[in-house]
Amino acid sequence: MQTLLIANRGEIALRVIRTARELGIRTVAVFTDLDLHAPHVRAADEALPVSSYLDVDAVVDAARTAGADAVHPGYGFLSERAVFARALAEAGITLVGPSAEVMDAMGRKDAAREIAVAAGVPVVPSYSLDTPVTELAFPVLVKAAAGGGGKGMRVVRSADEYDEALAAARREAMSAFGDDTMLVEKYVERGRHIEVQVLADVHGNVVHLFERDCSSQRRHQKVLEEAPAPTISAAVRELVTGSAVALARQVGYTNAGTVEFLLDTATDEAYFLEMNTRLQVEHPVTELAVTVNGEHPDLVALQLAVADGESLPFRQDDVAIAGHAIEARVYAEDAFGGFLPQAGTARLVHWPAAARVDAALESGQVVSTAYDPMLGKVIAHGRDRESARRALVAALDDTAILGLTTNTGFLRVLADSAEFRDAQIDTAWLDRNQVQPPGDDIPRVAAAWVRAMLVSRDTGHPFCSDGFRLGAAAAPVRVELDRVVVVDRQRGRVDGVPVTELGSSDHSIALEVDDERVQAVVDVGAHAVEVVHQGQRHLFRRPDPFAGNGAAVGDGSLSAPMPGTVLSVSVAVGDAVEEGQTLGVLEAMKMELALKAPFTGVVAAIGAGVGDQVAMGAELFVVERSEDA
Amino acid sequence: MTGGMRGLVDELRERLAIVREGGPERARKKHVDRGKMLVRDRIDALLDPGSPFLELSALAAYGMYGEDEADVNAVPSASIVTGVGRVSGRLCVIVANDATVKGGTYYPMTVKKHLRAQEVARANRLPCIYLVDSGGAFLPMQDEVFPDKEHFGRIFFNQANLSGDGIPQIAAVMGSCTAGGAYVPAMSDETVIVKEQGTIFLGGPPLVKAATGEVVTAEELGGGDVHARRSGVVDHLAEDDPHALAIVRSIVDTLPAPRATGAGHDVEEPIVDPAGLYDVVPTDTRTPYDVREVVRRIVDGSRLHEFKALYGETLVCGFARIWGHEVGIVANNGILFSESSLKGAHFVELCNQRRIPLVFLQNISGFMVGREYENGGIARDGAKLVTAVACSVVPKFTVVIGGSFGAGNYGMCGRAYDPRFLWMWPNARISVMGGEQAASVLATVRRDGIEARGGAWSADEEEDFKSPIREQYEHQGSPYYSTARLWDDGIIDPLDTRRVLGMGLDIAAHAPVPEPSYGIFRM
Repeated sequence: MQTLLIANRGEIALRVIRTARELGIRTVAVFTDLDLHAPHVRAADEALPVSSYLDVDAVVDAARTAGADAVHPGYGFLSERAVFARALAEAGITLVGPSAEVMDAMGRKDAAREIAVAAGVPVVPSYSLDTPVTELAFPVLVKAAAGGGGKGMRVVRSADEYDEALAAARREAMSAFGDDTMLVEKYVERGRHIEVQVLADVHGNVVHLFERDCSSQRRHQKVLEEAPAPTISAAVRELVTGSAVALARQVGYTNAGTVEFLLDTATDEAYFLEMNTRLQVEHPVTELAVTVNGEHPDLVALQLAVADGESLPFRQDDVAIAGHAIEARVYAEDAFGGFLPQAGTARLVHWPAAARVDAALESGQVVSTAYDPMLGKVIAHGRDRESARRALVAALDDTAILGLTTNTGFLRVLADSAEFRDAQIDTAWLDRNQVQPPGDDIPRVAAAWVRAMLVSRDTGHPFCSDGFRLGAAAAPVRVELDRVVVVDRQRGRVDGVPVTELGSSDHSIALEVDDERVQAVVDVGAHAVEVVHQGQRHLFRRPDPFAGNGAAVGDGSLSAPMPGTVLSVSVAVGDAVEEGQTLGVLEAMKMELALKAPFTGVVAAIGAGVGDQVAMGAELFVVERSEDA
Repeated sequence: MTGGMRGLVDELRERLAIVREGGPERARKKHVDRGKMLVRDRIDALLDPGSPFLELSALAAYGMYGEDEADVNAVPSASIVTGVGRVSGRLCVIVANDATVKGGTYYPMTVKKHLRAQEVARANRLPCIYLVDSGGAFLPMQDEVFPDKEHFGRIFFNQANLSGDGIPQIAAVMGSCTAGGAYVPAMSDETVIVKEQGTIFLGGPPLVKAATGEVVTAEELGGGDVHARRSGVVDHLAEDDPHALAIVRSIVDTLPAPRATGAGHDVEEPIVDPAGLYDVVPTDTRTPYDVREVVRRIVDGSRLHEFKALYGETLVCGFARIWGHEVGIVANNGILFSESSLKGAHFVELCNQRRIPLVFLQNISGFMVGREYENGGIARDGAKLVTAVACSVVPKFTVVIGGSFGAGNYGMCGRAYDPRFLWMWPNARISVMGGEQAASVLATVRRDGIEARGGAWSADEEEDFKSPIREQYEHQGSPYYSTARLWDDGIIDPLDTRRVLGMGLDIAAHAPVPEPSYGIFRM
């Protein structure tokens, strides 16, 4: 293998390029218009444009043009698309992954299940679609055979919900996958997501690199992942790892893959879920928590070796668990604001130095909603789970992304929680529980302190910002944030609370606030101060004195702003109206003026009819505020 | 008595601290409980974060209007706070009533202080911001407040003319604004009112009831809503004090940029530690010392390019820089003789020619007297200095660092000579002559009268005559007596001299300097 095209973007493209470079392999990136200046484009030895990362023909053409003898698909995009694997095979280019046939077999949940059963792997008890509703043991899970990512999936807890849920899941499956084949199986209320990393070469060698636990999920999106699994018994470990290897053998798997299991915490039974025929996002926890002959493995290097036809350079006995690793996925989303996707310019990006970071986000980069919202991964390692967890919390404290909101603060709160510490978070925990957002008192102190510090840098003229007062101590600095904060740096007080500055450097400040050590990254703008503290972004915006201006909402009576003729009346007394809804139109001075409801409510009175001449100030409509508004 | 200056400064700081609290605690509590900010908090909130505030005459009315002699703080700061500070990056004159002091009513000194602030605005072309919270004229003293040229009406005369000169007039009505006071917002270019706090009316509800029988609440008569929505007397309606101040800041932000005011040079701190000022200046004005010791502690790099160092040695003249601004220093170093007067006149002309601001360090017991000097025409030479100073067009700054007696006050740019600012050190003394001299002069006149009538006057009788005169001069020569009456812009800690001069120079740089022209120099 001499030239490797990476059919992906973002952190995984960088991850693959890093290993390829170490192995002396030339790297070729592909990019879309949006990614013209993306880090992976700069990192590669060569880069070719494609219309889309999902365009099979374009990517294969790029590989051909670049003279690539292999393509690494990363995860997502084309990584599990058999059609892509076939197109590459036809072009005589090696795919770093399993064959198209294996992808086909494992890509369908129904087919995968049959293979698992054949391999003696435990599967979730399932029902035929013909099973009468009365014979189903609720709760059950209805899911699309072709599905993934939670689409076309419904949990049904009682018989009377069943038909409707099934129909809805079908519709979703049809629109998402073009296939509405459904499966019905037992639904595990409290489950843990356990997955086993397997590696297989073309010579029939199959090994596992132990398991990962990815139970911290929010609506099936993994949030925290770790290796090894913290709660499983030796017997379960043996079961899942053995099953994974058996399954890989059964299907004739090659390259790296992941076999997912659902562990029912109530019964300690593990069921096969699906197999992912690619490298996983969370593969670094395996790389950090496992050793092969005493060394941490490089899964990408092993993938490339296997793709090149080499034999796996070790046997199962050479693989050992060494400590514990936890990964946190940093997403561009407002975790405390309904997990809404966020976009913007990451003005300042600071990744932690004391943890492994797989990321492709750097200062000044524009984050759009066009691609996956994952900005990077922070992975901490420790000799045991607790030290790994503490290292992760510290690393997230040291992670700061300014310019857009990320879930880093959420990850930090979660990793710091007693529930995660005690490994009590099952796959539905985050959907049942609210994680409390961190308070903004400390960040506000940091924001005010830095603002005051910058103010005090204005020196060298008699009206410099030192708060000079005649015959008295200097006035403290009043910092206008969302509210006024009084900072007296000389006496070390912020709104009366003792504060000591321990150090500051380029946007970073270390304070002791009321005996508590605080580290924050602060960016001061003209009208707002942005702070990242413990991973969480806080924006303190100075109120605009003119924001509340304009016509204040009065008593709901609309009068003629000038004399004119009523052109139309579009409501009747008693009608419910929305704020901004047009109630009628007045013609005056050759203009048509729409009279709009000042707030949501009910029309209480109408003062004129169509065609009426009205005087200025004549009351035309009265809207009464709705009770529930 | 080298430790004396520190004691005087401590006394100054204590007195300032007391007046800065404002009115009585009860009044302050009532004020704050109504959701209003105290006057100095309002100013702090109005100023840019960290902005200095050059407060003017904080001790105005000190020792006045009290029920007895001990009641020195009857009307702290004359119930009005004025000064210069930075708002939205721009130096502005701020005039703020203190409603906790007698309802913010105007005593004679209140009027004088308000007018002085407007004068500062006019001379230096600084926008005016009025934070209005006043019941209007203090009625028991209406004869000293209302009718004369420099009385209440002059405030509005000034507003009209300042606005006419392109000097913005901005008002925020944060409390009552009654009768004549109603014209402050009405005469302003742009006006803000605080909802349910500010009221503006020519006649309040009691007057309306008396006049027409109409019963009306203050809010209905002239509240924020009325003036913002109906009368158009104000332009902006604010929710509360902080909001009003934010709107004022926003208004200032929209003003066109002022004339470039930056100092021409980098700022160098004095090499000689200014802290030594406490030790080098004797507090007894009769003790001679070298004024260069003071100059070195005020000017950039402690460097003075001295002019005619060997001629007229009792007046030190020279070029220096203060906070990067070129200045001409004129400092007394003894009594004024003909030579020193001529030297001073020459130097003042030179500074005018070069458009260099003048700094007078005043410590003068007067022009030399006696036959030799009178016959030599010292009055003629003194007149030259007075003419040069009076006709100066460059900004002048005066600091009384010791005595300010007699015609020396004139030649050294006393208050009557329109220095942009005049400050006093706490050791300063000001009077037409020294108390001892005055007592002696008056005693001599009296003795001559008694003896002409053939009477006799014993030494004890003479002492009984002189003693109250000395006491009167002692009392009236005090800088606190001066500052209470607005003869100056404030008493300053000597260590702040360099700073306030720098601020004054920055302020003065906002106004252009016209062509110089002089009256007849008597040759």
